[in-house]
Amino acid sequence: MSKLQERATANKWSSMSGKKPPSVGDIIRTTFLIVVSLIILAPVLWFVLSSFKDVTDLSSRPPKILPTHWAFSNYTEAFKMYNYKRYFTNSVIVTSIATVLTLTINSMAAYAFAKYNFRGRDGLFVMTLAMIMIPLQVILIPIYLVVANLGLVNTYWGMIIPAAATPTGVFIIRQYMLTIPDELIEAARIDGAGEFRIFARIVLPLCRPALAVVAIFSILWRWNDFLWPLLIAQKEELYTLPVALALLNGQLVVPYNIVLAMSVMSIIPVLFMFVFMQRQIVQGIAQTGIK
Amino acid sequence: MPYLFVAPNMFIFITFIVWPAIRGFQISFFDSIDGRTFTPVGIGNYRTIFGDPTVASVARNTATYVIFYVLISTFLATALALVVNEQKFAKGFFRAIIFLPVMLSPIVVGLIWNDVLDRKVGPLNSLLQALGGGSPGWLVEPKLGMIAVIFVGVWVHIGFYSIILLAGLQGIDRSLLEAATMDGATRAQIIRTIILPLLKPTTLVIIILSTIHGFQSFDFIYSLTGGGPLGATTLIVQYIYDRAFQSPIQYGLGSAAGVILFMIIFAFTALNFLLGKRREAI
Repeated sequence: MSKLQERATANKWSSMSGKKPPSVGDIIRTTFLIVVSLIILAPVLWFVLSSFKDVTDLSSRPPKILPTHWAFSNYTEAFKMYNYKRYFTNSVIVTSIATVLTLTINSMAAYAFAKYNFRGRDGLFVMTLAMIMIPLQVILIPIYLVVANLGLVNTYWGMIIPAAATPTGVFIIRQYMLTIPDELIEAARIDGAGEFRIFARIVLPLCRPALAVVAIFSILWRWNDFLWPLLIAQKEELYTLPVALALLNGQLVVPYNIVLAMSVMSIIPVLFMFVFMQRQIVQGIAQTGIK
Repeated sequence: MPYLFVAPNMFIFITFIVWPAIRGFQISFFDSIDGRTFTPVGIGNYRTIFGDPTVASVARNTATYVIFYVLISTFLATALALVVNEQKFAKGFFRAIIFLPVMLSPIVVGLIWNDVLDRKVGPLNSLLQALGGGSPGWLVEPKLGMIAVIFVGVWVHIGFYSIILLAGLQGIDRSLLEAATMDGATRAQIIRTIILPLLKPTTLVIIILSTIHGFQSFDFIYSLTGGGPLGATTLIVQYIYDRAFQSPIQYGLGSAAGVILFMIIFAFTALNFLLGKRREAI
């Protein structure tokens, strides 16, 4: 069967090509998706609009959809009056250092698991994967006590190091490294390249797609992470954005209109990533089933 | 040399996961209010967990949340994946929208719905009033609070599960569907007798994953209801957190709850691995 014929039969199943009028099924499906999209988008849109309202608008009944006058001052005030820059910087510091650290140690471990034969390799690899079964929530209290004993509470390192060795990161990179031919590494060895040089100069550049997936997920997770920084950052000057937003709103020290503006600003970097990396993110999830 | 490569990762695992896990198991047999002095209490903490009325209500809340969250998520995600998979018009656009909440910080999600569900000035209630309904206290009444939390939980994660199901759907051999179409099967028949049975392994993964996620839920609830009204949305993770940071501080009791949570998550993760093995074998 030719390619064309194949496509013709495929089209038959998967409904309309542009020429035919939409079927009842198409209309029902599209309506359903529009309703779902509204349920998802409307609250976000409402929230963004709220962030431009002043205090009077925010407490008016019935609520106004559009602000009476656009209070851009919510945003400028957030920057001027509150430690917003501090929280934002903290989030950037924790997210970037943690991601670099995760990539480094995960890819090193992945390389050993994929390209070396050594005693205890399989045992260590299984143990690494088994770590998935012990999420933070389970060991919340003992890990807090351990970190406190090490004097890491209220430090950046306390927020960064304990969660840096992600089991899924090791797994994703290792699977990718298995596809790199051993001959390549052997050839480099014969040429007299050191082990670490082979890893850094030859293997790592070839793993770019896997490293990108791990990096994207690390960034998204760290930027939005709440529970771990909540435990470690107990001083206000160390709050990351999610911690600051949750606690400031709860304590009612920051006016609500300012909290709204801060929240909207905090999701912008993630939205950018989503727009530009959607493909990698979606594929990564579909392949691994991890967030 | 290979040991040098695995060392940093392993060092962090052992210091910050393995060791705390062992410590947590130990501490669950002790009583401590400061993390320094520990009084042995045997299985007293576990007895409290299975007898104390506060813990019983946390267990009930968690069970209610997980059951409804898993059922609704699985059902809706499957429906969405089926629809998106067949959608021709603006497919990528709809997929992106459905996926959007997964990207948002759970804390911001809590704030968004706090805003929308506000009893007096929230848009949902003013919409309901315009339609002649009352103005329910979504975040004020215990029962409605639980409904709100389940709804928002599904709202956040539905895109995540849909993506996995979509990948599963794309793995189905198209020639089967074409053959059925040629034999005159209707689309409903095809979905019921071919697609859903073939999708079953993926659906099982979704059920397992959503169960694990359900039991781990914490952050968006923290910013949406804070566990209220009247503790109606306090789930197990918040309970563990509270035992370390809110009075009464009881590290031992919290650790025991952690051990139980571990056993639940362990069981479901192990199940996932086993099913995964079987899937690979086929």
